[in-house]
Amino acid sequence: MNVVETSGLAKRYRRTWALRDCNLSVPAGRIVALVGPNGAGKTTLLHCAVGLCTATNGNITVLGDLGAGSLEALERVAFVAQDAPLHKYLSVRSMVAVARNLNPRFDQAQAEERLRGLEIPPDRKVGKLSGGQQAQLALTLALARDPDLLVLDEPLARLDPLARHDFMALVMAGVAASGFSVIFSSHVVSELERFADYLIVLANGRVQMVGDIDDLLTSHAVLSGPAEESDLVGEQFTVVQTRKATRHAEILVRTTGESRLPSGWESDDVSLEELVLAYLRDPSASMLPGPLATNELEVNEVAR
Amino acid sequence: MTTVAVVPVSPRRHEHPVPWKAMVRVTWLQRRSTLIGLLLVFVACAVAIVVGQAGTHATYASFVANGCVQNRFHVPCVTFANWFAENTDLFSAMVIALHVVPVVIGVFVGAPLLSRELESGTFRFTWTQGVSRSRSVVTTLVLLALFVAVATCVLGLLLNWFAHPFEVIGIESQWQSGLFDTTGPMLAAWTLFGLTLGTFLGALIGRTVAAMALTAAIVGGLLVASFVWLVARLEAIGALATNRLMPMGLNVGQLNVPGSQFNGPIGSWLVRAWFTGPGGKRLDAAAASNVIGRMYGAPANGKVGPSRWLSVHHYIYWVSYQPASRFWIFQIIAAAILIGMAALLAFATVRLVRRRA
Repeated sequence: MNVVETSGLAKRYRRTWALRDCNLSVPAGRIVALVGPNGAGKTTLLHCAVGLCTATNGNITVLGDLGAGSLEALERVAFVAQDAPLHKYLSVRSMVAVARNLNPRFDQAQAEERLRGLEIPPDRKVGKLSGGQQAQLALTLALARDPDLLVLDEPLARLDPLARHDFMALVMAGVAASGFSVIFSSHVVSELERFADYLIVLANGRVQMVGDIDDLLTSHAVLSGPAEESDLVGEQFTVVQTRKATRHAEILVRTTGESRLPSGWESDDVSLEELVLAYLRDPSASMLPGPLATNELEVNEVAR
Repeated sequence: MTTVAVVPVSPRRHEHPVPWKAMVRVTWLQRRSTLIGLLLVFVACAVAIVVGQAGTHATYASFVANGCVQNRFHVPCVTFANWFAENTDLFSAMVIALHVVPVVIGVFVGAPLLSRELESGTFRFTWTQGVSRSRSVVTTLVLLALFVAVATCVLGLLLNWFAHPFEVIGIESQWQSGLFDTTGPMLAAWTLFGLTLGTFLGALIGRTVAAMALTAAIVGGLLVASFVWLVARLEAIGALATNRLMPMGLNVGQLNVPGSQFNGPIGSWLVRAWFTGPGGKRLDAAAASNVIGRMYGAPANGKVGPSRWLSVHHYIYWVSYQPASRFWIFQIIAAAILIGMAALLAFATVRLVRRRA
């Protein structure tokens, strides 16, 4: 079962396309990192998945064949929005009560236990909690809904390193206990490898790279050798990015099998951060199951 | 990378949707400070009306005991009437205060209801819980509407009760513009209109201050228009005509005065007056003025009185009026129009929220 599946998904806000021709199949049981620069369409994609936005074209289903935003999907998909918006004038206890009454599967005892563990006082107004505590509260409420899919939009953006760690620890504990799938967006690429096992890279509203992180890493390598031979070596591989100095060159390539390197050349593993940044720097590079068409003309037509 | 044991997701039984009772509890949790605040305001208004009515009770009892209801122009009765005329401050203040209620509800309850959610981003929490947006908005709106409708209906009926002695004495009438909109079901209807208009504008604009300002302008503007123009036009519809009244002063044209001020039936409302000539033809303003002048200028006038003079010269003085029995019919029709508009606005709000993406 795919927890999120899109076909030809596109979303336009007035004259701007936030998402275009997005085809994705995210398998169940994965922790998916959705990365991309600001304005890449991450939030739009997640909003479409939780029913907060309606597609302009194409369609999106969740948890098999449930329409995103349908009543059954709402019951089974938990969402923590960017900046964890909660009713700031309510006490933590009232906020828990609101979530309990709105969700048939809500586990109040679990929520209260987690909040005790996080030392969040139940009588304190939500607005008086720190940013980290508000994020933890929002996540606690989402986890207590017993979701099959947890969607997190930039959950780490406003958190300090310690709060980030605590937040993701809570997510991982929830996954270990209940086995739900997670999709979280982030532009903090350096920390993805510790949490995620599946990656989606979005750029300019299009899916640029998607796949199992281990597979992506093993199918890429950094080749380094004399700069004058870089073009010759590049011809043997699909080059994602080339960096040349006067005498030395580094080429990030997609490897398809065993290839022989000329003498003087070395092959190294690529880090996830390096890989993601390389793809983001070159919007024409893609690593997709399907074709990637860049038709700027269409975008311009809409903008006009 | 952290490795975790992952249990495959299995399809689960579809649970029952969130029950209405739970939605009521959520509305209470989220809106209790607003509801308690409103309740205090409503209770304060009710207490002021009860205190005011109690203050008029003794004088009105004397007015009734002296047979003044049948003959309001006897000397002691005029004294009682003068007392009422000099003690209208609290009554007038309450009429003004209740006029403000629909604006206050629209601005401070309706307008922020959805605009604040949209502005602060909490809609991303509310609309992604295990309940549909429509159900969430409908429950909140219906509960708030029920609360303000019951409270304002009670206040409107209390004002009717407060107005009764003033009406019998002939100082005020529940038909007159200011009172028609604030008594009985009309206050509730205006309040529901204010609430739903504010909510609709909040959902449409998504900015709290702008929605509040626009709601205040529209509801306030319509209430002023109703006071100045609309109520008088409404009350002219289907008015009955009689030639049995002889108003003191023989006014012609628009009257819009309580029937009791002109010896008409208590509770009735005089709309227009005009003369017809010997051929039954309606006289224009100049001709009517001429008739009045001749009538008072005639030497015999003092002996026969205006009624006799008019009869001798085949002139008839007509008055169109609404009988007291029609008051509640007019109230219900006008309230139904406003409540219908409120229902349309509520429907439009739900559609807007469902389509908002």
